[in-house]
Amino acid sequence: MKIITIKCAPERNKKYKNGFAPGISPRKMFRWARLLMLAGILASCQKFVQAPAPVTTLSSENTYTSVSTAAAVLDGIYIALNPSATNDAGNAFSLSTSLLCGLSADEFSQISTAGTSLTQYYTNGLTNQNGDLWNYAYPIIFNVNSAITGISNSRSLPATVKQQLLGEAQFVRAFLYFYLANLYGPVPLVLTTTPQANATLTRAPVNQVYQQIISDLTAAQSELGQQFLDGTIQNASTSRSRPSYWAATALLARVYLYNGYVTGDNSNFTNAVSESSTLIKNTTLFGLSSLEAVFLKASLGNKEAIWQLEPTVAGYPTSEAREFIIPATGPSDSYPVWLSNNLVNAFEPGDLRKTQWVNSVTTGGTTYYFAYKYKNNILNSTINEYSDIFRLGEQYLIRAEAEAKLNNISGARADLNAIRDRAGLPNTTAVTQNDLLIAILHERRVEFFTEMGHRWLDLKRMGAVNSVMSTVATEKGGTWNANDALYPVPATDLQTDPNLRQNPGY
Amino acid sequence: MKLFKNLAQPIRLRKQKAKRQTLTQQMYKIYSENFVLPPGHTKKLLRVMKLTIFLLFIGFMQVSAISLAQTVTLAATNAPLSSVLTQIKRQTGYDFAISGKVIDQAKPVTINVKNGKLTDVLKKIFEGQPLDYSIEDRSMVISIKQPGFLDKLKNALSFNQSDVTGIVVDEQNRPIAGATVIVRGASNGHFTNADGVFHLKNVDDNAILVISFIGYQKQELPAHADMGKIKLVVATSTLDAVQVIAYGETSQRLTTGNITSVSAKDIENQPVADPLLALEGRVPGMFITQANGVPGSTVTVRIQGQNSLLSGNDPLYVIDGVAYISQLPPNLGGAIWPGGAATLNGPVAGSPLSYINSADIESIEILKDAEATSIYGSRAANGAILITTKKGKAGKTMISANVQDGYGHITREVPQLNTQQYLAMRNQAMANDGLTASADPADPGYAPDLKIWDTKSYTDWQKVLLGRNSHYLDGQASISGGTESTQFLVGAGYHRETTIFPGDFADQKASMHFSLNTSSDNKKFKLQLSGSFLNDNNQLPQTDPTFLASFSAPDSPPLYNQDGSLNWALNSLGSSTWTFGNPVAYLLKTFSNKTNNLGSHALVSYQLLTGLQLKSSLGYTNIQIDQITTNPLSALEPARRPRLQNSANYLYANENSWIIEPQLNYGKNIGQGKLDVLAGLTLQRQNMISDNYRGVNYYTDLQLTDPAAAQQTYPSATASQYNYSAIFGRINYNLNDEYLADLAVRRDGSSRFGPEKEFHNFASAGLAWIFSKESLVQKALPFLSFGKIKVSYGSTGNDQIGDYRFLTQYAYLPGYSYQGNLGLATQGIPNPYLQWELTKKANIGIDLGFFKDRLLISGNYAINRSSNELLPYPLPVIAGYNAILENLPATVQNKSLEFTITSINFKTKDFNWTTNFNLTIPTNKLIAYPGLATSSEANTYSIGQPITILKVAKFDGVNPADGNYQFIDRNGEVTEYPDVFGTPSDAIATVNTAPKFYGGLQNTVSYKSFSFEFMLSFTKQIGANDIFGGSDPGGFDSGNQPTSILNNVWTRPGDHAAVQKFSQTGSNFLQYFYAVNSDAAYSDASYIRLKNASLSWKFPGNVCRMLTISNARLYIQGQNLLTITKYKGMDPENSGLFGNQFVPPLRVITLGIQATF
Repeated sequence: MKIITIKCAPERNKKYKNGFAPGISPRKMFRWARLLMLAGILASCQKFVQAPAPVTTLSSENTYTSVSTAAAVLDGIYIALNPSATNDAGNAFSLSTSLLCGLSADEFSQISTAGTSLTQYYTNGLTNQNGDLWNYAYPIIFNVNSAITGISNSRSLPATVKQQLLGEAQFVRAFLYFYLANLYGPVPLVLTTTPQANATLTRAPVNQVYQQIISDLTAAQSELGQQFLDGTIQNASTSRSRPSYWAATALLARVYLYNGYVTGDNSNFTNAVSESSTLIKNTTLFGLSSLEAVFLKASLGNKEAIWQLEPTVAGYPTSEAREFIIPATGPSDSYPVWLSNNLVNAFEPGDLRKTQWVNSVTTGGTTYYFAYKYKNNILNSTINEYSDIFRLGEQYLIRAEAEAKLNNISGARADLNAIRDRAGLPNTTAVTQNDLLIAILHERRVEFFTEMGHRWLDLKRMGAVNSVMSTVATEKGGTWNANDALYPVPATDLQTDPNLRQNPGY
Repeated sequence: MKLFKNLAQPIRLRKQKAKRQTLTQQMYKIYSENFVLPPGHTKKLLRVMKLTIFLLFIGFMQVSAISLAQTVTLAATNAPLSSVLTQIKRQTGYDFAISGKVIDQAKPVTINVKNGKLTDVLKKIFEGQPLDYSIEDRSMVISIKQPGFLDKLKNALSFNQSDVTGIVVDEQNRPIAGATVIVRGASNGHFTNADGVFHLKNVDDNAILVISFIGYQKQELPAHADMGKIKLVVATSTLDAVQVIAYGETSQRLTTGNITSVSAKDIENQPVADPLLALEGRVPGMFITQANGVPGSTVTVRIQGQNSLLSGNDPLYVIDGVAYISQLPPNLGGAIWPGGAATLNGPVAGSPLSYINSADIESIEILKDAEATSIYGSRAANGAILITTKKGKAGKTMISANVQDGYGHITREVPQLNTQQYLAMRNQAMANDGLTASADPADPGYAPDLKIWDTKSYTDWQKVLLGRNSHYLDGQASISGGTESTQFLVGAGYHRETTIFPGDFADQKASMHFSLNTSSDNKKFKLQLSGSFLNDNNQLPQTDPTFLASFSAPDSPPLYNQDGSLNWALNSLGSSTWTFGNPVAYLLKTFSNKTNNLGSHALVSYQLLTGLQLKSSLGYTNIQIDQITTNPLSALEPARRPRLQNSANYLYANENSWIIEPQLNYGKNIGQGKLDVLAGLTLQRQNMISDNYRGVNYYTDLQLTDPAAAQQTYPSATASQYNYSAIFGRINYNLNDEYLADLAVRRDGSSRFGPEKEFHNFASAGLAWIFSKESLVQKALPFLSFGKIKVSYGSTGNDQIGDYRFLTQYAYLPGYSYQGNLGLATQGIPNPYLQWELTKKANIGIDLGFFKDRLLISGNYAINRSSNELLPYPLPVIAGYNAILENLPATVQNKSLEFTITSINFKTKDFNWTTNFNLTIPTNKLIAYPGLATSSEANTYSIGQPITILKVAKFDGVNPADGNYQFIDRNGEVTEYPDVFGTPSDAIATVNTAPKFYGGLQNTVSYKSFSFEFMLSFTKQIGANDIFGGSDPGGFDSGNQPTSILNNVWTRPGDHAAVQKFSQTGSNFLQYFYAVNSDAAYSDASYIRLKNASLSWKFPGNVCRMLTISNARLYIQGQNLLTITKYKGMDPENSGLFGNQFVPPLRVITLGIQATF
């Protein structure tokens, strides 16, 4: 078979209707065009471009849809308050407060090579570069505010959980502002997450900050349950690691006491008495533990605990134990601080707290005393201690002080003696209001040393800071200026927020 | 050959009469003018010839008066023509020849005749048919109706106009669709259709047709009625070579943009595994830095400078039309692949282009200006690099193989102190500090190198650790071929490259590539399919050990004990005396990288009308990375093992993306010009996941690669999705090849930006005037064969900021828990108003060709301004974070002055010599940065200065009194303690390590079967030197030093020295630290490097025939062969900190053979 090709003149286009290729009628063309246009619309459709929320991070909407993720935000906040794996003051609000305030006051001595920052706290020679606690607190407040917005807007969280978490967040916000106001004086009151507004805030008067704290705490009291909860936010727990109604009450008692000094309004002391009484009277839940048990975790029967922070890294004991316990080799760059002689000598003879809560090492002929409230500093050992942030002992002394301020001498003595009694000491000899306040200041010193900056705040609140510190500062190798009672606002914030003003003296 | 319906018996051709033969000869003449066919095609050609003759013959027959006396009887109603003809055949005995195509067009026949004359019957049957018939002897040929020859002739004689048709084909006789056919001086131009056919009406007889197509030489032919096949020849002038551009093709002659092409030949000549490295010195406006000479390492590519302060500065990579990643996902290679640019997502490690087989690449185009890149919209602010892979060609199936084998070696070594010099330095340091050398670890004068080690021994550690030859082996094979309508190529490659480090380290790549092109018979439908797969298995040390080679003391103990175990050279306390550990133990920390890279691409097109094409590009890519780094206990000295844990990191990352880009292309000749319109849209989605495990505490080092064997694991993961869509359009108008205009617009949407700012528009315009077309210019400057001025201006964007930056995100705090729950925390402050960084680019260029384009000179001047820079805007921490990512009106300006000269110095049959030269002079300047003084970048940038500057201390020599370096502080005072990190800072000197100019010179010389090519690349720049030593000289822990520190050392007060006093205790370490961070630590690092040379010899034809191969080539080629530099340090090309921490690019020499069967 032969195959033949026949060439033909290519006149094809002529034959096609309207010049379209075969099979392509104008109608088909329009269909194509329509299809293309449709595709074009599709392309510009935001639906395609908008990527779904990331899988490995949660968007704000997704976070507050389930109990566990919403709770995890609060857990993240507690972790931020107490990140166990960090050493020294690094980034940990709770330990830093204990350490830095203790250095500023008369609780610690430190080695000369402890580092610039610690030395500046120690010698009361801070500069506008020392932003530590300010810089730790505000990012946590951002997360708290973000949580408050997210929880409030959530439609899918169960009402009880929503209330509890909102209460926890408001409690933490009050807790942080309490410290900010006491360390820095007037501070910007950041209550939202809007950067434009927050970046230009001015410093709110201490008064206003206290009003916010009280309003947050009263809200928290109504929202938080009276039961201690576990991580599910739904079941009861023997540990007291989540803020409860009781934690809010404990802070409120403290805040009223402080606010009495700020405003000079005695009704605050009355309120402080009533709030602390709520806790002291609830003997089913609370009581003074023996000295050995005060810092144990609540689940081991420590009824003194009101709110404790758990260590947050598996295998890590409390940051306090790791930071303050000095090894047999003595202080070093890793263990730069020990208890000042000033503090060690302040214990009355027979004070069991000196034997129970203080320990020492002797190297090179020098004995170094160190805080031994938390005793377990061994990695990967059984964790039996949690960090006490609020404990009943403080409520006794809050009530004692408030009663003293209200001139209820007998009530004040009784509460003070309750604490002294536990320490194996006789009843106080103070009988006048003034002596009693002095006795309470002293009692707080030996009771709350190296705990959450109590000493530094007590000195300032009770007006003893200048008289005490002018001698202590010299002993520490610095000089005291009345302006040193407030820490400086960090320079970076002064530069970036045009409305912020520095504290006097910096 | 097409198949035909066998309707009638085939017709046998008879010998033609003399008259017809003359005609045939004439025809043949016409054809032969245009025809140069490869030998295999002669038969085909003859067949075509015969047919043509036959057709002509039929034409004659039609007009000849023929009478057929036979009669037929037919009765049919709406019967198919074929059945009617069959009846006629049966009755008359006539054979019919008719093709299937022809019969398809026949209309049904209704006829009723009795004993009608055959001619009458036929006439009646074909009445109204679109067909003609002709009769010769007893055969009849049916064809589609066409005007008779005499008609044509008559037309031609009586009028001076006629219709012209012809077919435009390429060298392989494949029709070229879309070629422009235009009558010179007239305005009626046309495109060829899918069959390559054009048809012009009413063309003057003496008219000249101009036929042109991109990549082919233009042809001018006198018009004939039937032009037959017009064969276009591939352009030889570089001006006319095809340049791939975004969504299309152009040539250097016709482009209005700033584009540089690099061909496969230039890439093949270089023994490098990463195709980017083959571009060094070849592209004006593009600067390439290789982080170190380790396979797979980071390669930094900057096109016309650094536009963005903090976001990505990588160009857009497009492989066969599909966007390819410009950065690998975050991975574990940071220590062995250093030098990656810092981005908002952290530093970049590794080069994604090293997972593309260089041998698969046909060409690389670098698009630089807005005109060329704007159509890529938000992705192309930093330019675009288009990679086109090899495709099959029609013709005989060919097998090609290429094997090369060779070795690599370090290019330069830093001269280091020998034992004698080293000991002298150490003793001097002891004396300076008033110490006596001691073997007691507790003694401040503890000096194992003086007291424990054998001070008579000498080891050149650069020889031991970097002195090996790396083995380089590369083999490629491919099969390609195809027919006119379908072509294919299948290739495979294997590459193995070992390192110069001691140990069993090697990078192996195995790859596959295929390409398939096919089209329908009518050429309207076309499909192009290509795919590639590469598997890379890269086993490397975890860290570049070059610093060990530089710092290890020359009297360091031997690596191994006599029993073959590692020598730890213990001291009296049982601790190792090695300064940095036993180097061999150090290399036990390994890095394993296994990557699979899959790329695929399809281009489907359909020609709706002449000039109107609908096409869609589809692509899918997937890159999988599997990495492990191990930290075995055996790498640690024995005494430390009980207190430390072994560990390993595992990373599995997968990044895949798909893209769909439907496009509509329309081309039309309007007047003397040609209009091209493109409209299309892009949908792209990219998914990335990365799972990371850290395993700690294994029972044995042997199980470090098994995550299940770890007693503790710490997982983390990231996943992200990136969506991108756009609508784009481009209009291109070419008026008579003299005036060119190009306009592109694009509307882009990217998921990286918040809902408020997802979409943005980009546009560009380009104009060019080929002034050499002006007769005035032609007369005045006869030597000027080509002259073009082009300008372009437009905007492009940059969305390389990472995903989800606008979203409030919570992430788990790895390693922490509270009440048994994981904790979530916010990740920065979201900014829903984030949008593109915008780069506006202006380019003005001139292209000149002299002496028939033998000398081509081109110059471009570009000014690019990037604004709207994505930067962390400082916030007070009271807002939660100390910065928010914002678009700040900071502006960075890059200017780039680029020159290229291409010259054909000799062009004879046996001897050819061409030269290419390019030069780039870049400048960079920070024009604006609101709030710079208060931002965290205050110590990094200065307004009016390049953004590549480093602010460093001002060096003031050695203090003669105490022998320490001293500096000038911001108040002009001399100090030994400049506050370089403070605000305000004492870092008052600035150095700029960006190149001042760079370029390359390439020469290609061929003589008969020899071909020699070499490429010099050069850079003028400043780099970090090693004049202050590798670490503060004198101390035991500082190790060995370059010999440069022996130059005038301070020894006693009053000495005016250049190098500060040696110290055992590191007493003046701070001064050393400031010195290496001072202006004196930077000096000239300019270089000229013989980047590449290759010599090849082509086997003579008779040898090939004897071996039955079609051709073969033997070659020797080398990379980084020679370096001329005054640089003080290891290598000027990667002058990192101290100049000697990373292994430089290797000198690689290979011998290879390439053969085609």
